[in-house]
Formats: sequence, C-alpha cells, structure tokens
Amino acid sequence: MAAGFVDFEITWQADVFSGAPQASSAAAFGTQGINFRARKARDEDEWTAALAALTCDIPISPLRL
Amino acid sequence: MSNDQHPEPSLDLEHLRQAIQEEYAAVARDPGRGYHFHTGRRLAKLLGYTSDWLEGIPEDALESFAGTGNPFRMGRLAPGANIVDVGSGAGLDSLIAAKMVGPDGQVIGIDMTPAMLHKAQKSATNVGFSNVVFRMGFAEALPVPDGWADVVISNGVLNLLPDKLTALKEMARVLKPEGCLQIGDILVQKAVPEGAKRQIDLWTG
Repeated sequence: MAAGFVDFEITWQADVFSGAPQASSAAAFGTQGINFRARKARDEDEWTAALAALTCDIPISPLRL
Repeated sequence: MSNDQHPEPSLDLEHLRQAIQEEYAAVARDPGRGYHFHTGRRLAKLLGYTSDWLEGIPEDALESFAGTGNPFRMGRLAPGANIVDVGSGAGLDSLIAAKMVGPDGQVIGIDMTPAMLHKAQKSATNVGFSNVVFRMGFAEALPVPDGWADVVISNGVLNLLPDKLTALKEMARVLKPEGCLQIGDILVQKAVPEGAKRQIDLWTG
C-alpha cells in the first residue's frame, strides 16, 4: 500500500518448487508460489483513506507517575 | 526477501544483478539443464496456463518460462489494453498478453537479461506480433511513460529485487489511475535470518 495501491489480495498459493531437478532452499523457508492483485488508487484521497483505515487505535491507559 | 523500505545495506546490488543475469541467461540458452525451479511447458501447466493461451506461442518462449505464478488467472486482459510485463524473460507472458489485448492493445516487456530479450523478440517476430515490444531495463526504473498502462503483470521477479518498494512505486507510476497489478511471485512462510538475506546464492536459488 505504501507504493500507492489499494485492494491488495492474494488470490492463490501453492508449492511450485517441489520436484524441481535441483535442490533448492525453497522448502527450508516454506516458500510458495502466489498470485496477487492490487489496484492503483484513483487519487490521493482514496489512497490516504485506505492508509488511514490500516491505522490501529490503541487504547491508552493514563500513566501513573 | 526483505520487506524493509530499502535494500539491505551490505547486499551488493550490482553483484546480485550479475548473478541473476547469469542464472537467467543460462535458462535462456539451456532451458532443459535442470534448475532449482521448474521450467517450460510442465511449469506452465502446473501454474494453470490453459491450452488456448499457449496455442501459437513459439516453443522458444515456452521452454525458458520460469514463472512462479499466473498473472492471467486473476482475469483476462481486455482487448485494447496497454500492458507492461516487468521481467518479461523469454516472453511467454508478454506474448499471451499480446494475444489477449489484440491489435488495438500494446504490450511492453522489460527485462535486464540480454539473452532473454533476444529470445523474446525473436519469438514475437516469428509469430508476427506487432503489438509487443521488448526493452532492456530494470524494474526499479521502468522505461515506460507515466500513466501509460492499464495493467502491469510480472511473474517471479519481485522476489529477486532487494528494493521492492521502489519497484512497486515504479509499477504505480506507469499505471493509469485505477490500473491493476496482476502478479505471480512467491512468499516465504518462515522468517529468513538477516545473515541469509545477504547470501547471493539464496536470492538466485
């Protein structure tokens, strides 16, 4: 999202490395092939709103000094 | 491998690019040699490429295919659309895109490996596709005007880039507002140790 995209979605994932002719580090890191999509925000307002929606409001208890 | 906003400081970008170019030049020249990833028609089938997409695609483009996903499973490309293929390799995805968008659309494939570009251009010429061009370039500085593309596709390339944010910003720059990314890539489900992120051989294999 930091690049200006919204509506990010991973649509598919699967092991695409097993059985390859040469050994790989893929299995050691649980590597999977994926498809993902996203859409460039229509304008600054849409992007800003999408970023704001990611913000978590953390309840803050008054500190006891 | 890194989700930081900037590349690992001790990773030598030029060295990494050279290693990647050598690996994929080998895939272009000798696709049947056997790599740590699948290649060619078998891989395309594994990733869900349909027979009608592959029909008419030269074997040269198909045999050196080394993607990790399938940008077209998220929706066919509309006739007349402008498409950028980042890391176009031997040209399989660019040529399928050229078929989908038809004569009123355009495709720009971009790759940094001369052997792959040569192979892709030769395939496009052989099938007479005049709506696709291949350009030398890097994902972090795409040779495409601002706001040109309706869709950016890429397949198995982002994971090879230390500075993913810059590459994604470039993809956003070349897209029209509300343009789409349709990307095949990889994810790792276990944390990669910091030291491993600086090992060139882990990036390429």
